Amino acid sequence: MSDILKLDKKRLDKFVAALLSEYRLFGPVEANGLTRFAEVESADALKLDSNTDESAKGIFFPQVETILTYENGKTETPSGPDKPIAVLGIRPCDARSLLMLDKVFGTGKYNDSCWTRRYENALIISVGCNTPRAGCFCNWLDLGPFSKQGSDIALTDIGDALLVESCSEKGRGFLESSDEIPFRKPTDDDLSKAAGVREHAESSMEDKVDISSIKAVLDKSWDSSLWDELAGKCLSCAVCAYLCPTCHCFDIQDEKMPGTSRGRRIRIWDTCMAPQFTKEASGHNPRPTGKKRIRQRVMHKFNYFVDVFGEIACVGCGRCVRSCPVNLDIRYVIKRFMDAG
Amino acid sequence: MADVEQVLRETVRKLLQEQKVCRVIGYARGSSALRSTPVFIEDEKDADSLVFDITCGNNLTQYLKKCGKAGDGRVGIVAKGCDGRAVVQYIAEGQVKREGILIIGIPCEGVLDHRKACDKTQGREVSEYRIEGEKVVLKGKDFEVSLDKFDVLSDSCRRCRYPSPPVHDVFITEPKEAASQEPECKEFDEFEKLDASERWAFFENEFSKCIRCYACRNACPMCYCEECFVDQSNPQWFGKSTDLSDTMIFHIVRVLHTAGRCVDCGACERACPLGINLGLLNKKVEKEIQERFGYTSGLDPDETPAMAAFDEEDKQEFIL
Ligand code: SF4
Ligand code: SF4
Ligand code: SF4
Ligand code: SF4
Repeated sequence: MSDILKLDKKRLDKFVAALLSEYRLFGPVEANGLTRFAEVESADALKLDSNTDESAKGIFFPQVETILTYENGKTETPSGPDKPIAVLGIRPCDARSLLMLDKVFGTGKYNDSCWTRRYENALIISVGCNTPRAGCFCNWLDLGPFSKQGSDIALTDIGDALLVESCSEKGRGFLESSDEIPFRKPTDDDLSKAAGVREHAESSMEDKVDISSIKAVLDKSWDSSLWDELAGKCLSCAVCAYLCPTCHCFDIQDEKMPGTSRGRRIRIWDTCMAPQFTKEASGHNPRPTGKKRIRQRVMHKFNYFVDVFGEIACVGCGRCVRSCPVNLDIRYVIKRFMDAG
Repeated sequence: MADVEQVLRETVRKLLQEQKVCRVIGYARGSSALRSTPVFIEDEKDADSLVFDITCGNNLTQYLKKCGKAGDGRVGIVAKGCDGRAVVQYIAEGQVKREGILIIGIPCEGVLDHRKACDKTQGREVSEYRIEGEKVVLKGKDFEVSLDKFDVLSDSCRRCRYPSPPVHDVFITEPKEAASQEPECKEFDEFEKLDASERWAFFENEFSKCIRCYACRNACPMCYCEECFVDQSNPQWFGKSTDLSDTMIFHIVRVLHTAGRCVDCGACERACPLGINLGLLNKKVEKEIQERFGYTSGLDPDETPAMAAFDEEDKQEFIL
């Protein structure tokens, strides 16, 4: 069934109810001045009309995760989620990023159980971007505001209704088994509305830049003086890495309750932009300067990741573009290297 | 601002030509109409890339220590009122030498809070903007919105009393007088009316959003410690998680470390990717310091900072 279905937005509650019967459901929620992913219990809580400030990676790779607790020398590992996870309203860029993270944590050389137990059975339902935001450049990365990679089901917002399309076996299976959702057959008018929305979104993006040679260019750019220039203004904060849906470095910390034999071991996000990231126990730091750190971040995304996994570790979500406090725009960085290379 | 920019470029070109400075820290146009980006000019040919307008929100003072290598000559810095105050505070705290810095004062009309502008345009790309009196008009591919400038100004600029640096070596056009008193700030007055537990709840709510990216700290000119207490690992003083207690302790200690030093430039708040309100806490502490010690940071390079001085008359009823 590659058929496209239609669901009136008013009946989204039925879709959500069907999801809740099988899954723990996460979606974009507006609270406290931010749109971010949170667990939801009803369709009313969902905010589907704009992308989230933070990416979706935290659902599967939380910023802080207890990997074990200990007491009197005995350890215990927390169990995974009781139900599989469904995400409703993730954007195509974030859906795509999960496939990348899965290469690192799931299907690659190492199997990270904390990741796998969440992602393996997850149902990813994306919604296309009718209005790409300033800074979005997924089109540079062979994606687009309506791409479906990483999605099990893809939604298109056509005003009063959503068009619903399955993109994987898992997605198809869910739609076929959920006969209580009042899907309808879209009319020709609906389909042309969807095409219009898509076209408008695609044409509203800035022109695509061909960056297919970036890996080769960076191969030759280790000693470029551009690194110094970029490092000059970079603040070495973690905005870019923590908002990024594909950055995946972490630190492990043991926290013991003072005066007890109790504690926890946590895994927390970390970033190569921080000077402490590579600091060794001896005090030696192999990446002591901002130049070396920014080189690491750019190289990891646009060179090393390509070497190891055959693709660029950026989906063009634009979060770092929008939020870098000093406007160190990754698009500009790439362009500068391409121009020089 | 065009005039100001022309004069600025001309001035910087001359300063470099005459070797009065070895480099100038300023702003260049960023990757969109509403963004600027810090730039370091060493070659007079590059002076034309300098800009100055409402998008110039970074506090450039935090680059001073990175930028001045010994024996290099003087470093010029383009300074709005708050940047200038931070430079003054650096001098008072012995972080830079007065003669090593050339302060290029620039008249400031307040800077944009990028997030506020973004909200008003539903995140769409703004390709140009113009100022029309008290209005800012933002224009994109298929839209144009006219907004009250006040609504998109950074909070700290709304309550700014010192639009020009208190000390300067050259000034681009004319300095603006400091206001005779603090401009009225409804938000702060409301905040002050809250009792302690309500204030605590307010900050819990704000800091529950914090992802500990430390952009606030790293954008802050006054957070210049070689190693921040939260980064120390031997011993490690505080937890690194985003549990509320860990996050709160970071912010509480940071605000204590910047007490009597913070110049209310708002760079921290503008740097925060999640729009967390840091300014009210800073402002509250600034006011406490003013009331207790009669000290305002960043005004007089020769005055001993409040936290570096002790006077028998200092109020100390809070010591149990
Ligand atoms: S590039 Fe920007 S967001 Fe990233 S560490 Fe540097 S200043 Fe922070
Ligand atoms: S590098 Fe920037 S644009 Fe690319 S995926 Fe990460 S946050 Fe998004
Ligand atoms: S704490 Fe914030 S407002 Fe105060 S000096 Fe630092 S960046 Fe500026
Ligand atoms: S910039 Fe914002 S999110 Fe980052 S550490 Fe500071 S308050 Fe937290």
